[in-house]
Amino acid sequence: MTARKDSAIDPPHYESGAIKEQIVPALQTAFPDDILDVQTMPVDETVTVVRVEGVRQIIRHLVEELDVLHLSTITGQEIEEGIELLYHFWRGSGLTLRVVLPLDALEVATVTDIIPGAAFYEREIVEMLGVTFAGHQDPLRLFLPDDWDGPPPLRKERS
Amino acid sequence: MRRITIPIGPQHPLLKEPVSFLLDVEGEQVLDSVLRLGYVHRGIERLAQERSYVQIVHLVERVCGICSHVHTTTYCKAVESLMGLEVPERGVYLRALLCELERIHSHMLWLGVLAMNMGFDTVFMYAWRDREIVLDMMEDLSGGRVSHAVNVIGGVRIDLDEEQRKDMLARLAQLEQQVLRAKNVVEHERSLRARTEGIGILTPEQAKQYCVVGPVARASGLDMDLRRDMPHLPYSELDFEVITHDAGDVWARTLVRVLETVESVHLCRQILENLPDGPVSVRAKRRAPEGEAITRTEAPRGEVIYYVRGDGSESPARLKIRTPTLTTLITLPEQLRNVAVADVSVVLSGVDLCIACADR
Repeated sequence: MTARKDSAIDPPHYESGAIKEQIVPALQTAFPDDILDVQTMPVDETVTVVRVEGVRQIIRHLVEELDVLHLSTITGQEIEEGIELLYHFWRGSGLTLRVVLPLDALEVATVTDIIPGAAFYEREIVEMLGVTFAGHQDPLRLFLPDDWDGPPPLRKERS
Repeated sequence: MRRITIPIGPQHPLLKEPVSFLLDVEGEQVLDSVLRLGYVHRGIERLAQERSYVQIVHLVERVCGICSHVHTTTYCKAVESLMGLEVPERGVYLRALLCELERIHSHMLWLGVLAMNMGFDTVFMYAWRDREIVLDMMEDLSGGRVSHAVNVIGGVRIDLDEEQRKDMLARLAQLEQQVLRAKNVVEHERSLRARTEGIGILTPEQAKQYCVVGPVARASGLDMDLRRDMPHLPYSELDFEVITHDAGDVWARTLVRVLETVESVHLCRQILENLPDGPVSVRAKRRAPEGEAITRTEAPRGEVIYYVRGDGSESPARLKIRTPTLTTLITLPEQLRNVAVADVSVVLSGVDLCIACADR
């Protein structure tokens, strides 16, 4: 057995224009109410702003219908309007879903049953920012010590 | 038979860094495992919000003790695209040269660790002896064996003269001979194959579901490598192969990494032979404007992703780092299922853990 240089198994190196030309228009057609805006970000990243209620359905559609399988990570950050989550996907170029959770309702549906690889990223956001992922099977601490009782460390102190 | 729980870590002779695995064992077989991180969590993302853009270059260099240069490269690329800077071509080539030397260093270090953990000390000693060649090359380039401090926002702070360039090419030839010897050992040595074949299997479907990256994904048949898939200099002008294998076991990972090392030697040679003339850096501003940027780079262990949000001040409002080890750690419970206790060390070594990276 020798290493093969070209894999026959489903080569995921896609054409780089697919996100902009096919996938974002397909999402806009399928979810006209949930997609609020389409933006760009350097380097070569397309950003779609998404309603909280629609995130799960959109990600399911991306994985099951549009073959966007690779979730690079989820970034969470506190901004003026609340907690912003950025789901960074990759298929030949970057696709980011931007969701804003208001500070009085920090809950969003989990995607770990659709993408098992999201489990650690969601757990990190649970402990670092205090967001709840409804339906997460194992929302235990991953990085923080067991006896940590301070506020989520990446939150800003607000008086 | 009674089920018992064996703790491996946070401090354990098998592990080079602190991480905890609780193995649920029946007889000789591992049934399940639970993973816990955070023992080297340094809060780098939080710290970055209080440092200036220039200081963070040195901060992110300390995310990883093996592939430090690729972290500063990814960070600098993100900040440069925020500031609208264009790095001169010679600077881009020198950055990539160090990235490839670092990949060779990382893969050879890993081969030694794998060999040591399976009790094959000869391979460990040869791999680490030959790694000295590449460490010396990096030291001559930058002054540091592991932490290079080569990147600055806007380019690099080192340059090569003609004599150094020829010297590097000569040492690359020596390195190539040793790497090919390691490849020969991995392909043909029977005891190494007996310990690694069929162990720690990750199927292509599992690799896709868990969003695995790097050599572990490529050894499970996923043909992905950002050096090729995200066309950028200098890789778009260089000739190299992306190595894949479909077995998905530890042996496939070993073979993929060793063949990748050979490719990296070719890449270094091409970079040195085609090094463009000109300046190596441009002057950067202290402040980045409001805005966001995302960069992805192929590190020795796979895709590294950095997200930077600037708010117009001297330090970023948010810096997010995702290191490739986090994607492979999550698959370990799958890989350890039904493995014999004696093979746990081989499985854990096979994915090339970098816990400091994962914890940040």
